[in-house]
Amino acid sequence: MRLRIGCAAAVLVLAGCATREVELHRWPAETPAANNKADIAKMQGLQATAAAAATLATPQATEQAQSGTEPPPAPVKPDDAPSLKTYDPWARLNRFTYRFNARFDEAIFLPVATGYRRFVPTPLRGGVHSFFANLTEVDSVINYTLQGRLHRTVRSFGRFVINTTLGIGGLFDIAARFNIPYEPTGFGTTLAKWGMHPGPYLVIPLLGPSTFREGVGYGVDYATDYFINLADLYRGDQSWGLGVANAVDQRANVDFRYYSTGSPFEYETIRFLYMRKQLIEDAGLHRSKPVPKPKPDEPAGK
Amino acid sequence: MLEMDLALPWRRPVPQIFWFDKRLRVWFSAQKRPAPLAIVISGTGSDANTAKLSVLRAILYGAGYHVLTVPSPTFPGFIVAASSTGVAGDLLQDGQDLYAAIGEIVAHLPRKVRVTDVDVLGYSLGGANAAIVKSIDATEHKLHIHRAVMINPPVSLFSTIGRLDKLYAVSLGNGDAGIERFYQQLYAQLANAYRASGRVELDEDFLLGAAAAVLKTDKQFSAAIALSFRIALSNVFLAGDLYSGAGVVTDPAHPPKVGDSLEETAQSLRSKTFAEYFTRVFAPYYLKRLPNATVDSLIARNRLEVIGDQLRTDPDYYCLTNSDDLILDRAELGWLEKTLATRIAVYDHGGHLGNLGDRQQAADMLAMLDGRWQGSR
Repeated sequence: MRLRIGCAAAVLVLAGCATREVELHRWPAETPAANNKADIAKMQGLQATAAAAATLATPQATEQAQSGTEPPPAPVKPDDAPSLKTYDPWARLNRFTYRFNARFDEAIFLPVATGYRRFVPTPLRGGVHSFFANLTEVDSVINYTLQGRLHRTVRSFGRFVINTTLGIGGLFDIAARFNIPYEPTGFGTTLAKWGMHPGPYLVIPLLGPSTFREGVGYGVDYATDYFINLADLYRGDQSWGLGVANAVDQRANVDFRYYSTGSPFEYETIRFLYMRKQLIEDAGLHRSKPVPKPKPDEPAGK
Repeated sequence: MLEMDLALPWRRPVPQIFWFDKRLRVWFSAQKRPAPLAIVISGTGSDANTAKLSVLRAILYGAGYHVLTVPSPTFPGFIVAASSTGVAGDLLQDGQDLYAAIGEIVAHLPRKVRVTDVDVLGYSLGGANAAIVKSIDATEHKLHIHRAVMINPPVSLFSTIGRLDKLYAVSLGNGDAGIERFYQQLYAQLANAYRASGRVELDEDFLLGAAAAVLKTDKQFSAAIALSFRIALSNVFLAGDLYSGAGVVTDPAHPPKVGDSLEETAQSLRSKTFAEYFTRVFAPYYLKRLPNATVDSLIARNRLEVIGDQLRTDPDYYCLTNSDDLILDRAELGWLEKTLATRIAVYDHGGHLGNLGDRQQAADMLAMLDGRWQGSR
């Protein structure tokens, strides 16, 4: 089985080494009507977020929203922003991994995910996506508990029960229809909640941008799933198939293309954005505490 | 939709750090029946699949065109894969490179695609590029381009970039301090909006939604616009510096290699203006290359006036723009109106590309493209 996967991968890598004058890649056909529907839904979502961000950002509204249950978030001041530099002591290795990921994505991952989008009907893809999302609720239940956010533990557990039963093994996200949104978490966030800093920037092979803390989180999440081995999905030959299907599903749902910016600064840009995203999410985890003031010139993440 | 990645025979040796840009990437959407081909050129520093191009692609495809979208000649992927100089920004030279590249692309379109007519259009700098490409075709007759539509084009490249430098200086100041201050403000506002939202992940939807709450003042919007142009410039600057051997931000004897940190280069490019690109990279390169050229003649050849006669006399050039577009001043807008007479639509509002794809704008663009345009009502 592994040998076959290896051979297939080698063929795909060689196929990805473009030598012809013109390379053609066929993308899913344009369906303007379907896109309009999706765009309208997205636009409505964005308007709702914009309205929420605008109102919630005012101190009065925030206090009202908290209604006494939680203290209002301490405001983040411009001086609290980390420096423009990012903590990246493993830069050489990270850059190598980033290039490897880019080549792998272009030669194997993206063509497979594109083929999946082209040939597998949308409802079926939706079912696969819901199935894998439902499996992550197990990690969410454990980690929300470890984070002490018990109302979210209950919510994730409720989603898991509803979707596994009424949603036929997770193929349908019935819980979302009951307005119970999908909000996964993992051990990386638990470490953040416990006060661990993101640490050095880290590019993980195949997975992409991360930090040391998130890398540890991925490892622990994987070990947890392996240990629990829900429905015997995480051990034996079937675990390979599941892993590949999960990876393809995730790739098909991520709108990112390596080096589509055409810029040699792409590594620096992604590193900058990823670390700030992590730090803002950390600030969200510790809502009531003031953000620690960064030392002058200390790179972000350290 | 078909993605075409082309290796062009005239590509110059690729600097190591641009290893991923060896092929020119364009996108093609084919109709099943014979149809006219609309070639759409992207704006400053942009690739062939931007959100604005998606809007135009949807409109044109819906109206029955085959649609081919190509990057701006100032997009690094174009500079590396298709530029014959590597020093982007010269309207005529970029037009020649674009014309040659489009010729190769059209020659490699799938055989079953049947093209009945060819039109070219572009937005922002791509608008000016589109007009130049049509003017080149008028002498070379390889593509048989029928109509050209310019959407919010600049009239003088160097006046426009002068305005953008000024916008940057006013909204962000000079040097790194201004950028850092702007970044700190955005970071704090975004963090506060995120904390207040109670979300567990800072995702794309949150970012897009929060943008309205984060960019609050006109000055912040101006800073964001100026910064986005400056980021586009940093790629053009670096490529030009490497290809011309100017040595402004890189050492020509030891150019950066794959895997080298570009952090210091990025930092040094952040404070480089368009004017500096012109004086330290662009002008020295073209003054050496073009006999009898002067700085003034370089500026002059980067105005749409170089094809003024064609624009005036050929009825197949059209333009859509806005009276409040920041890349045009009164005199330049007046020149466009005088030159194109009835073949221009000027809207009162929309700024620079703000009304791209609006119902009226889209209808007018289609009317221009298929020759039904009767002038502004």
